[in-house]
Amino acid sequence: MHHPEHDTTIPPRDPAQVMRLARMGSFHQSRLSFMRVLLRRLKSEHWTFEQHLFNIDARGVGRAVYCAHGPDRSYSLIAFANDLPPEKRSDRVIATEWDATFTLFDGIPSEVDLDRLQDNVPKQEAGRVSEKELSLSRANRSVRLWEHVVTALSEGRQPDTAKVRDVGYLMRTTAVYGSGKFGAADREMIAERPEFRAPFQVEMLSVFLTRGFVMDLVEHLARQRAPDTAVPLDPDLRRCFGIGNSTGLGMAPFLMTHPVLINNWIAAKETVLARVRSLPTATQDDAALFRQFSVRAMINADTWTSSHAIQIEKLADLRRDMTLLQTHLKSADLTTDMPWNRLWLWAEANLTLEGQEQTAALLLEPYGDLVDDLSQRMDADEQESWRIDGAMPVAVLKQHIEAIYDWALDIDWTKDTANARVWYVSQEKLEPRIGERFEEPIEAYEQPLCPGRDAARLYTDLCACSDDLVADVLLRAPQHRHILRRVQIAARYPYAEIRDNTIDAKMLPIDLLRAKLSFFGACHFDPRSDRWVRINMFKHAPFPHELVNTSAEGWAYPPLPEGTR
Amino acid sequence: MTWSLGEIEVLTRKATKGAGYEWGIAEEAGKAVRWLCAAGLPGADALAGLLTLNDGRAYKDCCPDCAGTHWQARGGVLCPLITGSAICDRAGMLALGDRITLGKVAFPLLLVPYIASASDGAGRAISIEWPGLTMCRADRCTTIDATSKALAMGSCDTVTLRHAKTMTGTRVRRAYRGHISEQTRLVLAEFAQRTYAPDTPESRLSGAGAGLSDND
Repeated sequence: MHHPEHDTTIPPRDPAQVMRLARMGSFHQSRLSFMRVLLRRLKSEHWTFEQHLFNIDARGVGRAVYCAHGPDRSYSLIAFANDLPPEKRSDRVIATEWDATFTLFDGIPSEVDLDRLQDNVPKQEAGRVSEKELSLSRANRSVRLWEHVVTALSEGRQPDTAKVRDVGYLMRTTAVYGSGKFGAADREMIAERPEFRAPFQVEMLSVFLTRGFVMDLVEHLARQRAPDTAVPLDPDLRRCFGIGNSTGLGMAPFLMTHPVLINNWIAAKETVLARVRSLPTATQDDAALFRQFSVRAMINADTWTSSHAIQIEKLADLRRDMTLLQTHLKSADLTTDMPWNRLWLWAEANLTLEGQEQTAALLLEPYGDLVDDLSQRMDADEQESWRIDGAMPVAVLKQHIEAIYDWALDIDWTKDTANARVWYVSQEKLEPRIGERFEEPIEAYEQPLCPGRDAARLYTDLCACSDDLVADVLLRAPQHRHILRRVQIAARYPYAEIRDNTIDAKMLPIDLLRAKLSFFGACHFDPRSDRWVRINMFKHAPFPHELVNTSAEGWAYPPLPEGTR
Repeated sequence: MTWSLGEIEVLTRKATKGAGYEWGIAEEAGKAVRWLCAAGLPGADALAGLLTLNDGRAYKDCCPDCAGTHWQARGGVLCPLITGSAICDRAGMLALGDRITLGKVAFPLLLVPYIASASDGAGRAISIEWPGLTMCRADRCTTIDATSKALAMGSCDTVTLRHAKTMTGTRVRRAYRGHISEQTRLVLAEFAQRTYAPDTPESRLSGAGAGLSDND
């Protein structure tokens, strides 16, 4: 252990600095990301995996079951594969058919379970699952890569490395529903199980098994096409395939509707960053490890592509930052005199937000013993934090608003640009959307996803009223109940609130998406618009059957080139 | 078919907002009905009845005057969602041994989860009673003694809240799935509908942010 007492002479960063949308939209995956938490557990607990059923024809239609066996329980990914005509392929929530659909089953399914699920899982939102199912998801093939890989393998050769690198996955998931959606088990049914205590472990396990299934499927179809000549993928190239994901606005409100959970994620990361920055010295080995990871992060930045103007600019920033970091590391002393704090201060002074947040993630890499315990404290009891303290004096409430929402009190809310957007839910697909307040007839349907404006309204009311206690305010003015609860939560949980205007004309929903997806462990964020992003998950990770012989750590950045390892 | 508690909470929160309540009240109503369903009690039916009854009623007519120890509504019938929230907000202030009586209240079953939350928040045992029902909450355990008529009651003239000295009734066991009748689901879904914005071609295209081909 480095410092069991976790000396933190350096305090965690100020929420006013961290919880800005531009910075949240620059977050990177880290040791605390939920994919990495999952693989560490699967490895340390010696989980085993088996292909329990694989009944898929030459067109790619059929079903498969993959089981994961842990110390106390087994889980099964059930996959229904489809042969989808191209015109029906869409990642958007309006789609009604997919190349493959999935559910994570609690246990090992019987034939009766499989038949029941066959009637429902392929329908996704229009179907219904039960408390035996923990997730519901779907995926489409990457048209760009799928046929190329099947053809190459069936002809006995490996696919083109550049093409593989360019796309990065063979199938792209869209929504991965968990927590009671469409009849599935509620989180509280399984939250006490150690393997699911950390957030989104059901969803991550489902996606991890899905990636393995997709690779088996593509090799299977190549064999079906040309049994005499087909070859499997080279294992090193195989690991270059992640599983894609395409995520839209449906995910964005989550960051605002789960303030305590978000606090716990960010607080964990900020706490470990403070721990590392507080180290008085570092060993030569730790310094070497950091240098190695920073080279790998540079390779990651170089292989990350996007055609979206905003991300192209951010990628240029990141690449420049990673080059600056390499130059700095040539002469930097990384072992004495609080080396990581000095490095951090250098990064803050010299790098853009992309580079700063990448550096923050890199600083955690050498220090599993300072970091990994906190991954078990990223869940939240959202029930207890929910209750309003009605006995709080109005004067105290005002002080909290002044401290947490100072940025909102400084906004001129009479300006149209400050109120330009409305978050609403569409009637047709029941999906969250964002629209233009002054151009569309949607204001009557506004969701409470604008804490800055609402806190400013509450503050104005408090300044004018003669109420003594919060309970009196709420009885008189129930419209403040939602934001007042948030203020009290944010006063107790420093990273609970986003310190930016979520209805501003220039607000970018992709910043919210990236913040959340970075905690999942995603890489290669590739926005397709300001409200829709593609990512890659589990790229370079070992496959389930490889976990027994490989490390569960260190995979999250591209490997160093041959000869430099 | 059973429902996940999450589905029940989402549906009832939206329905409450759709019926004209503020978001903060609706959020707690969703949690209240979820709590009742997890206790095996007919909370969704009660909410469907309440929203139908109170549709279009003004807040000030059904909110309590909390000045004394007898709370009643200016308009004659207290709303249990508003009254329940007010009880929670005053949980710490209600002195030990205090007794509060409520005047006529609609669908009193909906008060029960708020009493549980008030007890947890204040750290003291509280009971709620009306003819045919006694519920006690202490140390995060609930006991209930109720007739099915009392559970389904559409209104009740007097409800008493007090410090509970003894726990009476059967201990409530927690369930992880809920039951909603189709009739109730339809009522709630219709109220929830009011929170959804009708689609336009523009909103379909820009609202969710598509427009680019994703078939690649």
